[in-house]
Amino acid sequence: MRRKEFLENIRHRTRSGRYQPTRAPDASWTPGRRAAAAREVGDPPSRFLEELAALGGHGRRVKDLEGARDYVVELARERGARLLVRWDVEELERLGADGPLREAGVEVAVWRDLEDFREVAGRADIGLSTAEWAIAETGSLVLESGPGKGRTVAILPPVYVAVVPVERLVRTVPEAIRMYAGRGSLPQNLCFHTGPSRSGDIEQSLATGVHGPGEVHVLLLG
Amino acid sequence: MEKTGTEERARREGLASGVEGFNGRARRALADPELHDSIALFTRKTLKGRAARLAELPDAPELRERAYHIKQETMANLDRYLGQMADAVEARGGNVFFAETGEDVVRYVGELAREKGAKVITKSKSMATEEIELNRRLEEEYGELGLEVVETDLGEWIAQLAGDAPSHIVAPIMHMNRHQIARVLSGVAGEPLPPDVKALAGFARRRLREKFLAADIGISGANFGVAQTGTVCLVTNEGNGRLVTSVPPVHVVVMGIEKLVPRFEDLEVFVQLLARNGTGQKLTVYTSFITGPRGADELDGPEEFHLILMDNGRSKLLGTEFEEALYCIRCGSCLNVCPVYRQTGGHAYGSTYSGPIGAVITPLLKGDREAKDLPHASSLCGACWETCPVGIPLHDLLLKLRNRQVDEGLAGKAQEIAFKGFEEAVERPALYRAGARLGRVAQRPLVRDGSVRRLPPPLSGWTDFRDLPPLAERSFRELWREGID
Repeated sequence: MRRKEFLENIRHRTRSGRYQPTRAPDASWTPGRRAAAAREVGDPPSRFLEELAALGGHGRRVKDLEGARDYVVELARERGARLLVRWDVEELERLGADGPLREAGVEVAVWRDLEDFREVAGRADIGLSTAEWAIAETGSLVLESGPGKGRTVAILPPVYVAVVPVERLVRTVPEAIRMYAGRGSLPQNLCFHTGPSRSGDIEQSLATGVHGPGEVHVLLLG
Repeated sequence: MEKTGTEERARREGLASGVEGFNGRARRALADPELHDSIALFTRKTLKGRAARLAELPDAPELRERAYHIKQETMANLDRYLGQMADAVEARGGNVFFAETGEDVVRYVGELAREKGAKVITKSKSMATEEIELNRRLEEEYGELGLEVVETDLGEWIAQLAGDAPSHIVAPIMHMNRHQIARVLSGVAGEPLPPDVKALAGFARRRLREKFLAADIGISGANFGVAQTGTVCLVTNEGNGRLVTSVPPVHVVVMGIEKLVPRFEDLEVFVQLLARNGTGQKLTVYTSFITGPRGADELDGPEEFHLILMDNGRSKLLGTEFEEALYCIRCGSCLNVCPVYRQTGGHAYGSTYSGPIGAVITPLLKGDREAKDLPHASSLCGACWETCPVGIPLHDLLLKLRNRQVDEGLAGKAQEIAFKGFEEAVERPALYRAGARLGRVAQRPLVRDGSVRRLPPPLSGWTDFRDLPPLAERSFRELWREGID
């Protein structure tokens, strides 16, 4: 009932209005000729790494799973990590980092052992996940929520690592959005995550890791 | 009757917080050098970043055109798109509430908090909730629940602690420097904190972390809502938005009805324009697209999702000459380029929304009488329109508002007489010539160094804030008659 009235009121106003906004001439934004809609992204993997580095993230191309595994274990050791929380997905199984991490004294928490990611992710030193896609033009990761893919893994721990096969790079933001626009059903939570958490609220000075991870590592696999 | 209704509503909505008196507040702001330094620092940096990021986008002009047309299409069919949005959210297991006024929003959230036995509510920065003073009203009107409502955006939190209102749509405490901020946070810490950005941010992280994990309800705004899919898009840099919408068991979205876009692919246009114009980034750090509560097979994320679609005066603008004001995506770039905002800062406007867009929407939402000064707080230079990523003709709307004030008899007798007189004079050449001659003689004692710095009352209102170029010794018409060499 309430909804009906509400929408009725709006319908009445939109239909009864005689005023049709006209477009003001657009001198400052309209170029002489239409610019090409496609943007140049020559070599997506190196562009991705450049963009991520410019944001203060750490990116690296690794040629095989072994390289990625060593990086993760070494990072955990360097940071003195005691607890790592990770997604329960096939790719991270194949990474095979759990054993070496445990040997290095790092506890590994995986989805299937958990009731709720939130509590564990809140205590974890490192979060580890994959990503659905990565966007070269902006250095972004595209993260979907779903079974085994906790949202808090990428946001609560101070250090966040993602392992992404290089074939999953797309060039631009519009390309990434169009991939989801064509879909029947969207994931509950989809996030374009671009570099470490940052704030410029205090005198425009950059402060990283103010709520989310201050350290973001992306390993491009292959 | 309409007018009184609006004003009455404005008072009830807590909107009547002294929008009149722009001149007084502006004068105080002009005398504050610390404020000027803060504004200059912020706007210079942001504008530079904006220009660089837009230059990288060869299709930026097309995106602006598309943004305008998408919004035009949305507003013309808003009832249909709102219905579609509500259906889509419900189909995904979410709840939808249509809120006519801010009071409706407060009641919905308050009752929800009661039902859930909530104690701590974390909030991600939202202008819509600022507009209706949600925090204050929840704590006051639902005092028996003992709610703690915590802003989690760093700037917004500091503003909340300082009892201060945000002074910029995007950068709420742009008006404060780090010494002032250190004083505020030291008060909370119970020990002196150094005026060091890293130390202050670190303190905030530790304090707010506890709140994030303890929260029973998370409240966010919405940058965009997608009718087709029921998706809410939220952009933040700090990650607080992602925490507020992922950690507590209940997520409430307060969204103005104008934030809709019809299709998911429309976000391609807006997401790119918002960050580039607002902060000079390609994308903000977190661009989240949230569709309903978590799935049955997910181990985190909110179990309940509530979408509040808030009108609060917006639908009045549909189908009117002011409709374009609803196209705003709150990027804040019109503030940064505005010569008036840059001199006075946001608090001078005395309204939730400051700068050119604030000068337009405040009178439209609150009523002309309440926000009488604001349409005059502009030089009409058009910089705001030029910078607007959606192409809202802000300077045009400001003129229309000034016009409306005259029609409603709000402009003041002196102004009315002056403009009437001018109208008479330009319609009668003889009278015009006589007036111009008289003016040239009368101005002689007033001209100093080539300009008129002060006019006698009642004309002094004009020269209080500007110098007036003197009338030329010989008019163009005289020169023309004599023949120009």
